[in-house]
Amino acid sequence: MKTFEEKWTAWLDGQLSGKELAEFEASLPDLEAAEAEKRDALRLGAFLKEQLAAQALSNEEFFSHQLHERIAQEREDRSRDRGTSTWWTIPRLVWSGAAALALFVITTVVLMSQHQPGEQSEYLTQILNSRVDPAANPNATIYIFESKNDNKVTVLWTEGLQSLPADYAAK
Amino acid sequence: MRTETTPAQADVSELDLVRQCQAGDTEAFDQLVTRYRTRVFAMIYNMVHNEQDAWDLAQDSFVKAWKSIGRFRGKSSFYTWIYRIVMNVTIDWLRKRQVKAGGAEFDDAIQLKEIDPASKTVPKADPLPHQHLERQEIRARIDHAISQLSPEHRAVILMKEIEEMQYHEIAESLGCSIGTVMSRLFYARKKLQNSLRDVYENV
Repeated sequence: MKTFEEKWTAWLDGQLSGKELAEFEASLPDLEAAEAEKRDALRLGAFLKEQLAAQALSNEEFFSHQLHERIAQEREDRSRDRGTSTWWTIPRLVWSGAAALALFVITTVVLMSQHQPGEQSEYLTQILNSRVDPAANPNATIYIFESKNDNKVTVLWTEGLQSLPADYAAK
Repeated sequence: MRTETTPAQADVSELDLVRQCQAGDTEAFDQLVTRYRTRVFAMIYNMVHNEQDAWDLAQDSFVKAWKSIGRFRGKSSFYTWIYRIVMNVTIDWLRKRQVKAGGAEFDDAIQLKEIDPASKTVPKADPLPHQHLERQEIRARIDHAISQLSPEHRAVILMKEIEEMQYHEIAESLGCSIGTVMSRLFYARKKLQNSLRDVYENV
């Protein structure tokens, strides 16, 4: 669906025909005034063409010469850039990136596997080595949570214990 | 469409020249430049109203065309393709200039260019002094009226009225729809009619 502006422009430039032309002209409230406006616009077009078309390029040969120089310079720069960065093609950049990443992953894995965990506390060792007497405490459960970071935290969670075994000496 | 060609140049098709350019032949590009340099310069000059700026922008446009000619696939004419580059370069320049000027309207200090007497498009005889002055005044009025239009409106009115391009060619050059071209033409014509009516009615 064309807007009024589009139809008007097409009408002015003689681009409407047949049914479309008849419909557009019928839709105009004052065809005579529109025709006058059209003549005025065509006059403007002819006037602009007459006044603006004579603009000459003052030194055509120098224009081409200067352009030639610029293009030659451009080609020179491009070939120099190509010479200095020939090795780093896009596939090579991708492969180099992938190789560097793989090397990083391997190094990290090796270093992590060599890392020694911190020594277990004496208290924890005692807890792990202790036994709950099943006769005295049939439903007893002991959970131990331990964090092995620098700030060591060990949590002992007991459930169903009536009493701690005698060899449990809290430190 | 008008081009600056000699009969020998006309024998070589534009597409052949483009193919040669794509193979790196600068002489072929030279021929294309010779065909279009005057029209490109005139078009830019009518948009920027300054000879030096028009010269520089025309140079930039052709350098850009050379750099990207490898991407020209021949889907449109070379003329439309180069005009697209010219319009991008010029409109971009006008926009930057407008921003630099703090949003103010474009430079009204119009430099009037003497018309080259050797040009094929002007009468051989020099105009009389009063005619020359009158022509300068008219030109100044036109340039001022055009400078009041946005870069996009300038482009469509000049391409339609001066270059006699078709709507679809203008649309391709500006990278917009035909409807947008027609709409811009409507408003550009209205504005110029209002500001130049007294001039063209009395010429």
